[in-house]
Amino acid sequence: MTETTIASGRKIGRRSLLLGSAGLAATSFGASRLGMPYIGNAAAAEPIKIGMIWAKTGSIVDQAEYLAQGSMLALEQRNKTLLGRPAEIVWLDEPNPQGAQQSAERLIGEQKVVGIVGGALSSFALAISSVAKKAKIPYIAANAATGDLTGKSCNKYTFRVQPPVDVHARILAPYCASIGKKWYLLTASYAFGQDIKKAFNDYILANGGTVVGADEVPVGTPDYSSFILKIRAAKPDVVIGGVAASDLTTFLKQWNELGMKGKIPFAEISVGNTDLWGVGPEAADGLFTITWWYKDPNNTPEEQTMAAAYEKKYSRPAADKTWMGWLGMKSLLDSIEMAKTTEPAAIVQALETWKYKRGDIDVGYRPFDHQMTGRLLVAGIHPNITDKWDYFDVKAELPKTPDDIAKAFGSQADSTCKMDAL
Amino acid sequence: MLDMILSQAVNGLVLGFLYVLIAIGLSIIFGMLGIVNFAHGAFFAIGAYLAFALNRQFGWGAALLAPILTGLIGVVVEMVLIRWLYGKEPLLGLILTFALALLVEAILRLVFGGAPVPFAAPKFLAGFAEYGPILITKYRMFVLAVTVFVLVAFWAFLAFTPYGRIIRAGSRDPEMVGLMGINLPIVFSGVFGIGCLLAGLGGMLAAPLWTVTPSMAAGAIMPAFVIVTIGGLGSYAGAIVAGLLVGITTAMTIQFQPEWSGAAMYILMAAILLVRPRGLFGEKWERFE
Repeated sequence: MTETTIASGRKIGRRSLLLGSAGLAATSFGASRLGMPYIGNAAAAEPIKIGMIWAKTGSIVDQAEYLAQGSMLALEQRNKTLLGRPAEIVWLDEPNPQGAQQSAERLIGEQKVVGIVGGALSSFALAISSVAKKAKIPYIAANAATGDLTGKSCNKYTFRVQPPVDVHARILAPYCASIGKKWYLLTASYAFGQDIKKAFNDYILANGGTVVGADEVPVGTPDYSSFILKIRAAKPDVVIGGVAASDLTTFLKQWNELGMKGKIPFAEISVGNTDLWGVGPEAADGLFTITWWYKDPNNTPEEQTMAAAYEKKYSRPAADKTWMGWLGMKSLLDSIEMAKTTEPAAIVQALETWKYKRGDIDVGYRPFDHQMTGRLLVAGIHPNITDKWDYFDVKAELPKTPDDIAKAFGSQADSTCKMDAL
Repeated sequence: MLDMILSQAVNGLVLGFLYVLIAIGLSIIFGMLGIVNFAHGAFFAIGAYLAFALNRQFGWGAALLAPILTGLIGVVVEMVLIRWLYGKEPLLGLILTFALALLVEAILRLVFGGAPVPFAAPKFLAGFAEYGPILITKYRMFVLAVTVFVLVAFWAFLAFTPYGRIIRAGSRDPEMVGLMGINLPIVFSGVFGIGCLLAGLGGMLAAPLWTVTPSMAAGAIMPAFVIVTIGGLGSYAGAIVAGLLVGITTAMTIQFQPEWSGAAMYILMAAILLVRPRGLFGEKWERFE
């Protein structure tokens, strides 16, 4: 008979050992079902973690603050519960594309998040998307506009809220062309700016116009005066901008300083409300596409509730970025509830069928490229700004019909996305 | 084309003066105290935010106090943190001032929020003047005038006043100055305060031109370091010449090769350091060798 000796020197027989083990297992089971349910339910009570990657530093941080607050509001509106369990957001920084990638890897590897929302700049979103694809974790890119994200770099786990650059361009370009056909392009030297340059360049050349100048601007350029002198000398009818966030703010301040405000019309797609709020009423100028405006009468009751909750909490109106962060997170949380599980493949399938009613259309992600479709606002700036938040003069909400929306976003045949499998 | 080159050259010179104003405080602090102040950009941002807050509450006149307040904050920082680093391993100074920069940015974000705050030049400085192909805004001329005045005044202070002589002597041989019965810690606090005051002045003057955000320091600190390195660490004249060189190089690169404009000053720095490893006006300092 085999015997085991314990430290005290007392000998335990094989039969006693087996009985003891069986007894311990039975006690654990019994405790979990009867007297001590918290032992068995410990895993169920573990909070569900959602990853959030929005910049805490750098040139996009002003927009990221609103994106993050909107995202957190979406969870707060559910009393921080998902599938009947507590839920929490883990927020990491994205100082640069490498940093964004590392944050995504940490959220998945260390924090075991069930999904990620984030990627304030296109380059950050592309980096996060590649990690999401590899780790098979659902990722919602709520702000990035580069076409690649739902184009040639698309994947089964990446979903995008922001319409891509070419959709914005299709909506704004006709307005610009109606002003004049000599364009000057001033765009950032990364994916977002390069997409704008291509989209507007192609449009104006196809419509009988000319590009009288095109400069690519490094991110974080502190002084635009030399660029503005070049634009002034080229005498374009319209300047098409493609610089993001605080870079746009700096540009518009210096555009006004050099006396260009009102002289040559300036237009840019996909600007953030905060970019203009930071410019100030004296210098704010231009024609823009924006995704959402807190004073838009067409906002849904749910959006109005969100905006009111935001204003109550932060003592300022919700910005477009608040809405985008909120909607991106809401779509992920809704989909987890729809899937009734945190299993990634099930969440992805739920995201593909998730819908949100905005007026006469159902907003949702297209299954073939995971691009959210919807309308955009074309907005100018109030001639006399008296309210420090109320800058935009909404001219149109486009495309008008569901058919026009489908046309603006392009069909599956037009798409460069080759969607992979789960 | 010649018109554009002339226009860009003048614009680059004006931009260079703004860079000089930002860099000169960094140069003074290194030259006098031997501290490489990574938090210089943070004091630049403090200057901008103080100007914003004072302007909002009391108007532009009050905003002029922003550099002085920034200088006073600098004095306190020197007394509490910096003075323990004199004569120590330079790496400690780098780490501490880097941490200080991050702390200041976080505090600004906490107090003012992460979004940019609007800040415009006073109305009487709006508008511009044109001289043939050259266009200069009134505000940039004002910045240029202030910078030249500050540079001349500080040079005169160092060259012709007993306090200036003490600072210069203290920067070369602090022990000797101490043995003469001069309270060197107070002098050093003053020097650090002046460096921060100049950073704050740069922040206040840049605020109507740049985006005022907690992270605005990044836009200031890199040109400042490049200028100080090109000019020669601690060289007053070097910082001025280097600032103007960087301004002109940036403007010309924008004219001919705009996508390289962000890298132009770094290429200039590398080229100059290859020929003159201590920078244009750099000398061998016994204290730092």
